[in-house]
Amino acid sequence: MQLFRYSTSIYGGSDVLIGASWDLLKWFVVAGAVIIVLHAAVKAVTSRRADRT
Amino acid sequence: MTVSQANVSAVEATSGRIRRHLLVDRVYHWLMAGCVVTLLATAFLPIIGYKFEWLGLHWTTGVALSALVLIHIVRAVIWQDFWAMMIDGADLRNGWRHLARALGGKGAAPGMPGKYNGLQKLYHAGIAVLVLSIVVTGLLMLLKIDTPLWRRNPYVLADYQWGWIYVVHGFASMALITMVMVHIYFALRPDEWRLTRSMFRGWITRREFEEHHDKQRWAADEY
Repeated sequence: MQLFRYSTSIYGGSDVLIGASWDLLKWFVVAGAVIIVLHAAVKAVTSRRADRT
Repeated sequence: MTVSQANVSAVEATSGRIRRHLLVDRVYHWLMAGCVVTLLATAFLPIIGYKFEWLGLHWTTGVALSALVLIHIVRAVIWQDFWAMMIDGADLRNGWRHLARALGGKGAAPGMPGKYNGLQKLYHAGIAVLVLSIVVTGLLMLLKIDTPLWRRNPYVLADYQWGWIYVVHGFASMALITMVMVHIYFALRPDEWRLTRSMFRGWITRREFEEHHDKQRWAADEY
């Protein structure tokens, strides 16, 4: 998995940085899903604990 | 006073409405939401395989979002309570107490927030950083396309400088997807529904105000 996208320079030499790698897109979606699931789980546990007391 | 009059009076005391968002702020919020969804769709749908002519709609919506953000900054600094959205010591103390309790600790109970709680302020700060990064880099990227208003001139910056501008624009845009997902999740949660309703109708009930907010930290108006 790469962080950046590169293109080959028309003048030769080293590659040119052209942007962020779109391979990372799915990981940002996964991060959102993880935050949502974790928050929902914590809220479920804490509200159950509050109901018992 | 009869018993029924007393009952009506007691109900009225807790059934008033508290203004949370002015109409202009609700309109701003939904226009910004429309712009962000349009920008994310025109940016990422072609990348995941839905090909269409996306550039025209993308840059015009980007210019509209830039104008909205500028208007919001001016309103926030001049007409709104700018400091109501800034994280303060009470937010940090309440956040720590919430965390300690969530982990099973039995310390002091967290206090109630003002108009916004600490996590809402943190979220706003994150969105501000991302959107401002996207707006600034996006406005610079307009120099690379022809429009009815100007001709392209990509030679004002070197290739590696353009590369970093695209990197910032891309990473901030992908992070915005995460933030939008979290935002929609909280908006749909039943325990946050009063806040979602207030973004449509402008108000929360007095009972909701008293249950969830500290009067000392939010000098609220009747609706």
